[in-house]
Formats: sequence, C-alpha cells, structure tokens
Amino acid sequence: MDMKEFELHLRGLLAAYRHQEAEALIRPHLASGSGPIVLWLLLAQALRGQARVAEAAPIQQMLVDALPGDLSMRFDLSETLLALGDFDRGWREYQYRYNLPHTTRLERKVQRSRWDGRQIPGQTLLIHDEQGYGDTFQFLRMVPWAKERSGGNVILEINHELHSIAKRMGGFDAITVRGELPPRFDVYCEMMSLPMAMGLKLSDLPGKIPYLSPDPARVDYWRKYLAGYAKPLVAVVWAGRPTHANDANRSMTLETIAPLSVPGVTLLSIQKGSGEGAALNPPAGMNLFSLSPQIRDFEDTAAILSVVDLLISVDSSPVHLAGALDRPAWVMLPRLPDWRWLLNRDDTPWYPSVRLFRQNKPQDWSDVVERVAKELRLFTQRYKSANK
Amino acid sequence: MSTEPQGQAQQGMPIEKALALAHQHWDAGQADQAERLCQQVLAVWPGQADALHLMGLMAHAYGNLDLAIEHLRKACQSPRTPAIYFSNLAEMCRRRGLFADAEQAGRRAVALDPSLSACWNNLGIILQEEGKLEESLSCLERVVLLQPNNAEGHNNLGNTLKRLGRLEQARLRYEAAIKLAPNYAEAYSNLSNLLNDLGYLDDAVAMARRAIDANPRLSDAYINAAAVEVGRHRYEDALRWIEALLAYSPMHSGGLVVKALALKNLERLSEALNVAQLAVSGAPDSSEALNALGEILQELGRTDEALDAYERASKGTGFAIEKAIVNRGVALMERGDKAPALVELDRALVAYPRSASAWHARVDLKTYKAGDPEISRMAALLGAGGLESRDDRMALNYSLAKAWMDVGEADRAFSYLNEGSRMKRGTFDYDPKASDAWMKSIGDHFPAEILERLAGGGAKSELPVFVMGMPRSGTTLVEQILASHPKVHGAGELRFLGQVAGSKGPYPQMLDSLTPETATELGRAYLAEVEPLAQGKARLVDKMPSNFMFAGLAKLILPQARIIHVRRNPVDNCLSCYSRLFSKEQLFTYDLAELGLFYRSYERLMDHWRAVLPPDRFIETRYEDMVANQEAESRRLVDFIGLPWSKACLQFEKTARIVKTASVNQVRKPIYKTSVDRWKAFSGQLGPLLDALGIAAPEA
Repeated sequence: MDMKEFELHLRGLLAAYRHQEAEALIRPHLASGSGPIVLWLLLAQALRGQARVAEAAPIQQMLVDALPGDLSMRFDLSETLLALGDFDRGWREYQYRYNLPHTTRLERKVQRSRWDGRQIPGQTLLIHDEQGYGDTFQFLRMVPWAKERSGGNVILEINHELHSIAKRMGGFDAITVRGELPPRFDVYCEMMSLPMAMGLKLSDLPGKIPYLSPDPARVDYWRKYLAGYAKPLVAVVWAGRPTHANDANRSMTLETIAPLSVPGVTLLSIQKGSGEGAALNPPAGMNLFSLSPQIRDFEDTAAILSVVDLLISVDSSPVHLAGALDRPAWVMLPRLPDWRWLLNRDDTPWYPSVRLFRQNKPQDWSDVVERVAKELRLFTQRYKSANK
Repeated sequence: MSTEPQGQAQQGMPIEKALALAHQHWDAGQADQAERLCQQVLAVWPGQADALHLMGLMAHAYGNLDLAIEHLRKACQSPRTPAIYFSNLAEMCRRRGLFADAEQAGRRAVALDPSLSACWNNLGIILQEEGKLEESLSCLERVVLLQPNNAEGHNNLGNTLKRLGRLEQARLRYEAAIKLAPNYAEAYSNLSNLLNDLGYLDDAVAMARRAIDANPRLSDAYINAAAVEVGRHRYEDALRWIEALLAYSPMHSGGLVVKALALKNLERLSEALNVAQLAVSGAPDSSEALNALGEILQELGRTDEALDAYERASKGTGFAIEKAIVNRGVALMERGDKAPALVELDRALVAYPRSASAWHARVDLKTYKAGDPEISRMAALLGAGGLESRDDRMALNYSLAKAWMDVGEADRAFSYLNEGSRMKRGTFDYDPKASDAWMKSIGDHFPAEILERLAGGGAKSELPVFVMGMPRSGTTLVEQILASHPKVHGAGELRFLGQVAGSKGPYPQMLDSLTPETATELGRAYLAEVEPLAQGKARLVDKMPSNFMFAGLAKLILPQARIIHVRRNPVDNCLSCYSRLFSKEQLFTYDLAELGLFYRSYERLMDHWRAVLPPDRFIETRYEDMVANQEAESRRLVDFIGLPWSKACLQFEKTARIVKTASVNQVRKPIYKTSVDRWKAFSGQLGPLLDALGIAAPEA
C-alpha cells in the first residue's frame, strides 16, 4: 500500500470512529520518532478521537513548529490547548478560526484595527458577536470587563435574537443589531477574540454570576403557565443545531433520553429546531410535555429556565443561558467534547451551577443517560423531602 | 437605534450623506451596503471622485488590485481630488510594480498636502524600492517627525537606512517600531534580516520566529530564517524553513530561490536546477531568481549559460544585481578569462563602490605594491561610515590582508587576517578535540588485516583517481596537470566518496561490519555517480582534499582506483589555509591553534594509510618537488595512473577548463615558486600554529 492509499484508509477508519485501529496502524511507521507529516497529523486525530488530548498536544505542537503557516493545524492546536486549560497560548492560536477553508468567507473586513487589550481613553471600541448563540451567551460576560479594561466607550453589536437579553445585561455604552450600521468606532474586537486581547486566565472565571437576567414579565407568565405541573420541573434538550460541525457527536434522539422519565418528575421539552416535533409524540410511558411550540425566542427560554428546577441538556445554547442565569443545569457531553468543557472534570469554571456528565465510549450515550437518570432520582428525592 | 433603511440611499438623499454612510458601512466591514451606496452615487454622478475612491479601496481589500487602480485613476481625475487619493493610487501602483506612475502620484500627493504623514510614508517606500535612497530617507524621516508614534513609519525608515548600509541606525528604527507595536510581524522580520547582516545569527533566527509567531503567513520571515541557516552552512535547516513556506505558498519566488541555493550547497544539483528554473519561470525579471540559476549552472560547469543568467540578472529587478555582476566576474576568472573578469568586477565597483564581494574577488586578480590607492579605498570601507554588515567586513579584512601580504607587511596583513578569521570563527560551532578523536578512530577501525578480510570485494574499475590532502596543499595543481592529459577528465571536488561512506551507518564504525558484497555495492554506487561525468575518458580525477579521511575505504570499495596524496610544507600549507576565506565550509582553518591541531591529526592518519595501503595504488607527491621539478614529478604521476606520457601535461595553465576552488588564480600561473617557504616571512605572527605543529620559529 503506498502512502496515499494508506492515508485514505486511515481517514476512513477515523471517520468511522475506529480511532484505536487507526492508531495501531500508524504507530509502527513513526516508531523511530520521525515520519511523514501526514501520519503525525492523523495520529493526533486518532488520539483526540480517543479523548487522549494531552497525548495529542505535543504532536500537534510539533506539527505547528514544522509548518507554522498551516493555519488549520494552528486552529486544531488551539482547541487542544484550550481543552487542556492552556489559555495563554490557546487563545492566541484560536485567532486562526477564520483561516480555515470553510470559514475564510465568514471573516468580516472591518477597516479598523483590532483592539489589543490596551487602554483607549476617549476612543470607541466595537465588540461584535460571531456565530453560535451559546458562544455569545458564554462570552457576553467579558463585554463589561472590556469596558473597564479599555477605559473607552464600548459598542456591543449583537444578533437580533439575543439583543434584548444582552441589552438588559448592561456594561456597555451602546448596543446595535448585526446588519445595522453601527455608530462610528475606532477599534474593534470579535467577541471571542476578547480572551486573547485581554489575556483571559482560568482564574478569572466565572466572574460575576449571574450576569444575565430574565424578563420579569415573561417569568410571571411562565410561572403561572407551569403552576399546574407536578414538581420538580426538568427542562430537556437532546439535540443541538444540526449544522454544527460536531453535531453528530453531541446530539441524540428523544428515545435515547427516555430513561430520564423517572417517577415524580415532569419533563418539559424546550427543544427548538428540527427535533422539537418529536416532543409532541414522546415514546410510550415518557412523562414529557412540550413547551417548544410556545417558545418564541430566547426571552421565553430564559424565563422558563428561571422557573424550572433543572435543565438537562446536550452541549447546546440553553446550557449557556442557564449557566449565565446561574440556574442548575446538567450537560451530557460526548467522549471528545468541545474545548470549553475542559477534560476529566464534572464541574466547569465558566458556570458554577452547571454539572457535566461525560461519555465513556464514543457514540454510546446509554451509560451517560443511565448515570443522569440515577442522579435525577436522587435529585427528586431530595427535592420532595425539602418541599414536603 | 437608527430606523433608516440600511445601506440604501433614500430617494433624494444628498450625495454627501450617501457617501458618509457608505464610508461608515465600509469601516464596519459591511461591504455590500457600502458598494450599493457608491453605485447609487455613481449612477447619479458618474465619475464622482469619493465614490470611486471608496470603490477602489474595497476592490483592493478583496484582492483586485487592477480594478482598484482603475477606480483610483478615475478618482484622481477630478479637479478637487484630495491628496490622500493620489497617495492611495501611488501605493497601489507600487504594489503592482508601476513605479513611475507610483512616484508621480506620490509626489502629487505631498505637493497637495505636505502635512499628511501617510502621503510622505507612501512616497518614501516608493522611492526606497526605486533605489532613490537619500530622497526616501528624507520622506520617511518626515513621517516619524510628524507622527513619532507611527510604528510603520519607523519600520519603513529602518528599511531605507538598511539599504543605505546604515545598519546600526536601522536597528534602532526597527526596535522603536516593535516598542510601539509589540506584535508587528514585519518589523521583527526586518530586524531578523538586519541581525543576520550584523552577524548575530541566533538572534536573527529568534526574531524570524517571533515574526512568524505574530503572522504565520509572513513569507519574508521564513526566507530570512532560511538565509541565516544557509549562511552558516545548515542547509537542511534552511530547507525546513523553506518547505514550511512553500507548504502554503508553493510558487513563492523568494522561497524557491533560497531552496535552490540550499540544494546547490547540498550538491543536489539537478534538483537545485529544477527549482531555480521554476523560480525564473514565475519571476522572469527577478535578479534573485536569475542569479540563483546562474550559480547552479556554474556549479554544473555550464559556464556559458551561467554567464548569460548573470547578465540577465544584472539587468533585472530586485536585490541581487550586485551579486550577479560579481558572480559573473568570478565565473570568468574561474574560466581563466582574467581580463574580462576584471572588467566585470570594475563594472560592479562602478555601480556599487562599496561592494565588498567585488573587492574580495578582485584582490586575487592582481599583486599589490606599496602605495596602491586601492588599499586605502578598501581600508576606508572598514572605517567610520563604512560597511557594517559582518560578511562584508569579513571579506574586506581578508582582502586587505591579501593586499598587505603582497606588499610584504606582515604585521598589517595579520592584523586584518586575525580580525577576519575571528569574525568567521564566530559563525559556526566546531569542536577541535572531537574532530581529532574522530580522525584518530578512523585508523583504529582500519587495521591492516581488513584488506585481506575483504579481498575480492569492491567494484573493478580503473577510472577513479583520487587526489587528496590538506586544502591548499597543491591538489588543484596536481589535478590540473593530470587533467591536461588527453585521456584524463578533471572532475573537481566531488562529495560522493563521503556520501557513500555514510550510506551504511556511521563512518568509520561501518568498516567493522563491511563485507566484500557491500564493498562492491558501495564501489558501484560511487561509479554510478562519476561515470556520467567522465566524458568517455580513461581516468577521472576526484580531487576532494578531505577524501583523505576515506582513503582506506576507497581502496576497499574500488580496489583498482589510484590514490595520490599531495603534501606540502606544514607551515606554508597552514598559512595558505589561514589566509583564505573559503567559499565552502572549512571549519578548522579560522584559528591558528585549531588549524595546527587538525594538521597533526591529518598527518597521523596519513601515516596510517602509508603503512597499510599498497604502493601500486597509493602514491605521494610533494608540492615543493612539483614546483622544483615539474616535468619529472608529472611524468611520475602520469606513469602511476597507468597512462603514457603526454606533453600537454607541462602546459597545464593553458587547459580550458573550469577551476572552482580557492586556488583559482594560481593554477593559471605557470608555476608558483613564491609559495615555497613563504611562511618564514610571517613566522612572528604564527606562534600558536607553530606551537601546535611542534615547529620552532626560525632565527630572526
């Protein structure tokens, strides 16, 4: 088999989650400590696929040292470093997120320079959000920090869907909706470049919690709406946005979480998007009510999260909203989760109210769901005895 | 929040307002809305300068330089065009290589508004690229005067100062730029290039790394790092930098040029030629690419083509014009065309009076006498306001040493020589003790019995004749005499024997496990390399001096090959080594004590070969005998290599062939008796060498 065929074969194995097999095939070729770059690259992927991120890191570092101009490799390295908690270097490499083949066209050609974290008294800083709603919820906390650090005027540009929640947060001088003409500004920063500009450290987290709040009128509405359901109320989300690159790993079906229907608990679907229809027809015996059709926007989601007793969710935006509101949430994570959940821990420095349940085997949710169901029974017992 | 429709001029919206909105949208990165507004303005008022200007800026941001220039040219046709539009047009013309247009627009801009530093900046870099350095300097000095915190201004000023040879001042500008903008990749890269010139090689690589860290796609930084590694003979390291650059920019002309030169130095000449040709095809006027092509063709012995490539390079663009002219001079010199060589080097000195490399090549073409004004011209270049680049200073020190040696002023000659060699010695790592131990181990791994053990092995061919010894011992002269024979081809210094020796594990340890079969295999491998070079001749001379390390191995793998060891008076030989700045790496010749130690190791190894190698395949000749008794010595050597005598061997200086080593100008002289016992005139300066060699200085 020549190298090209070998590479194709390995890529096939990796795509089929056969990471161990791929690793075993690659290892002998690299036993001397040197070998073709592509094999090192695939070995790093095979290790990451097995969540052996710390082992992948030195290989990825070596690849970046060998080919510093390969910006895809740098972005891959940033995800590894961030997952390992190496924020200093990780955030710097994360700046290449717009230099990937599928992201270059997404970068905005702002005709001002990027803020580098220095004081800019008398000047105006435009901070604009990026793609995912979850990202925006997570990093909104840094907008007031940037205002304080820069000593300048801060304009927050945000997508329409999150506008009212962000506006209520405050900590900036003006807010504008994406697509509209922002007021004049001197420097700008993408929201997820704030960590690089400001040198964010793990010890800076979580900052002031909660940093978001629900709309009181909506809370009133949902409190009344949900008054008749048996408590505890547990909101559930089982799928993320299907277009997300890692969606196949992070999302599941409603059937998969059926075991969460433990006695005494009312499950409430707050799933939005293509999965929400399934909630109208839950598997037999599942005590699930769907709120999905009544949820108009994130203000509704925020209000519901403020009323219910717990959110159980896959890695998707409602988790971040719950965390930012300081509401309890349990997250079910794939074997190799997104960098933001770090590794080998069941809490997260980003949100004190959030607890993590990690997959032990890639693609296998049964064990996670079982553990969550067990914890939910305990949660229910404690809830019932506290509210007798 | 604004409730106006976004990016759309309302019916009757004043043009000024539409333009202001368009600018605001563009500043915020909202290209669609900005363009729509500009188009609406142009529909109402075709040729509206501000709208065209903004369209030009947007076209440039999206990589369409030609369209950008078109828009800006139109924008500049308005009677009230502001200075900055001319200045932007100037900058885009510069990027397109349209220097005359660029300069014209740039000058118009500063005339319209002399208070705008951006206009002076753009004009300054245009003039810099045109080589109008003094004028560029005054523009850029103005920029940093108007805007002391303008990092780009400091960086650009640094570049002009560097091109003026004012390296220490340039360094201060780059450092100022970095202080103002700590993530300024270009400034780090430029500083890297400067530090290389100044001879701070590790720092230069570190700065290139910082540049790449700040901007991983800054190609110049890769090229600068690679250039440092080429300069200190770490060609594999240089190739790694270049491969990293070519991985994302496969046709990068500057990258291909450095790659070609690194391959050339690794003796991978056919690859080097391909890469250089690729570079030329991508940038047909680039003096760098054409000069690299010339250097490789010259190395391949294709002198006419090399001369042609240098000539084209000397009329091309970029920064290798001086080098190309000097290279042309050296190529002519190697061919023996002394007069035309002088013409070329003088041509270089007319255009570049401060060209150290031209002087360095030129000193070998004449014998200096006391009072020659050229000596003071060269000395002035080492004085205040003179050259600052370390390589230049090194070359001039050697040049002046040569001139003063000609004159016979030992003290002056050695003060330059010691300074030059000290500078050179600082550019590389060399462990004389390790080298001594390694050379000793060669004998240990080659006991006399090995010849019996491997009897019957090896490739049978009488083609190879190895001429070996110390550098500057007379190997070139011996090769020249033999190559004048009609049945002999002189192939110059070939690396193949060393490469073959290293192909079966580390040498000399590989000797322990050598079998007759592998000996045959290695012999064939050597023959496969040299047979295509032999031009059908019966003998091929490989005069790589350092092959003395492999003399025993040569006998094992090529049992019929002849080995000629050339000896010379140790002190004369070492003095000759010490007074040269070699074009290829010779690590042991830049310190008198290290040189003496190496000579002792060499002598010991030769004693060993003399004891074990059979006299019908191993012969020795002394340079001094060759000089004193040319015909008899020549006849003895021709007889040894198994050929009938030819009179041509006595007129070796007429042989039309290329000589590429440091002895280039001497072999053209009939015979060189002044080289015998030359050292006695300098014995007062040779203390550390004489100590190492165990030779007493003669009575004064």
